[in-house]
Amino acid sequence: MARGKNFFPMQRGEKIALSVLIVFAAASFLPIARSVEVAGMLLFGWLMAALMLLSPILTLWVFWRGRPRN
Amino acid sequence: MLVEQILVLLYLAACIGIGVYASRKVLTSRDEYWVAGRRIGTAVNTMAIMASLASGGSIIGVMGYAYSQGIPATFALFAGAVVGFPLASILVARQLRNFGRYTITDFLAFRFPSPVVRVLVPILIVLAFTAYIIAQLKAAGITANALLGIPYDTALVVATLVFVTYVSIGGMIAITWTDVVQGVLMLLVVVGTALAVIWRAGSPFALVAQATEVAPELGGLANQEIGSAVGYFIIWATAIPVIPHIVMRVFTARDGRSAQLSLNLAMLVYSVMILAAVLAIVPLGKLAFPDLVDADRVFLRVIQSEFPAVVRGIAVAAVLAAVMSTTDALLLACSSAIAHDLLGDILRQRASDKTLAAIRVASAWLVGILALYWALSPPELLTRFYTAGIGLLSAGLFVPTIAGLWWKRANRAGGVASLVAGAGTYVLSLSGGVEFGLPPIVVSLSASALAMAAGGLLGAPETAEMQKQIAALHGEGPSGGP
Repeated sequence: MARGKNFFPMQRGEKIALSVLIVFAAASFLPIARSVEVAGMLLFGWLMAALMLLSPILTLWVFWRGRPRN
Repeated sequence: MLVEQILVLLYLAACIGIGVYASRKVLTSRDEYWVAGRRIGTAVNTMAIMASLASGGSIIGVMGYAYSQGIPATFALFAGAVVGFPLASILVARQLRNFGRYTITDFLAFRFPSPVVRVLVPILIVLAFTAYIIAQLKAAGITANALLGIPYDTALVVATLVFVTYVSIGGMIAITWTDVVQGVLMLLVVVGTALAVIWRAGSPFALVAQATEVAPELGGLANQEIGSAVGYFIIWATAIPVIPHIVMRVFTARDGRSAQLSLNLAMLVYSVMILAAVLAIVPLGKLAFPDLVDADRVFLRVIQSEFPAVVRGIAVAAVLAAVMSTTDALLLACSSAIAHDLLGDILRQRASDKTLAAIRVASAWLVGILALYWALSPPELLTRFYTAGIGLLSAGLFVPTIAGLWWKRANRAGGVASLVAGAGTYVLSLSGGVEFGLPPIVVSLSASALAMAAGGLLGAPETAEMQKQIAALHGEGPSGGP
């Protein structure tokens, strides 16, 4: 099997969305997010709240833009 | 309390009515019973998925947890599940919908044909979900006892009889319809309450700032270890793409795109509900009732102090709806693991449609009665075990499912090894048998991935026919599943 062909292909938008979500989630858990306070709450809390909205909105946007594929 | 009791009785009667009505068309058809004929549209599936995830914990528990442990820890706990849905929509939704069977076991047993997979996967599901159902039943009993003054045991028996009845005779169609009603009810109550609170305060940010000034612990992480927050986040993010009651919802969608959209729309609605609860109702509760001994009562105290009896009655029904909408989906998934995954192949050769229908109904009652028995005198370890149960499913099923769909080198040896290594390492790690210094879910997912890689690289490659069939699930080549 040729190198790079070991995986079934994923649409570009889906790959980007997946990467953004993983990086965002990992960054939220960094120590700095737990030492900064914004409006009375740790930045970590605001980032988690943002992630809860960002993740479905980002993925919906990707699906609506992408071509239907069944 | 009479108004509340009448409203709850009406709600329970409506659930039974839906079950009886649905039973006319579902009892003799596998497609109708397990996956609602695969014709559920995006809007209905959105509310049904949201309601299936939003358990009693998503109303009573989330606010109690935020009140006692702080808002950031609460968001960390719930964000994992929310992120899991976009992952599911990208990694498994379209492909599994194209596969077009009934359960996650069907896919794994097709992809990695082995008796180990056919038997071990449903056993893991039954173990994990029975613990989950018991925890939900306990929540229903405690809620009804606290809010309606009904004895715990009576409340437990009534709630169990109601949802086992409509699940056993109405299958997925009854669950879908009741979940939509339950989802709308809980959304209206939680978001409506939050909007009323925000209307008076001006903005949620002003409320949070006010509350954290009086109680700074609300904006901090209290005594939470970040390791456990990471562990919970990963458990839920990786469980959602493989957890059976959510995967069954994918199979009910009318097509792959509808499945993808409804998973994400459901999470958007769910996130709005959680954010509204935690950023509006909890700060008000902290300001108005700063010394609650039982933090789980914060929502009820806010409702009692701010709203009239009719709204309180609707709120009680919403809490019960949250409990029942998750429990019914868990019960159907659990009975499918018995009647379809474990016994299906044997029975289909020998039994009539009528007998098969009776077995489907009986398996739902069997699980329901066992769960009721344990919930009446719950073993402490078991009720604490339900997040661990979800972790067990994630540890065992995540890597085989994702690799089975995406990695061309994934083969039977890798699939079986990955399933056994993931579940086995999780149990060992959780029981303290082996100490790795990392959250058990991280250790077990790594072990599962290593086993898959070893099996795939060292074992025989998959046949061209299997490769072709998996490519078809991705929409490459001929459409439709195997």
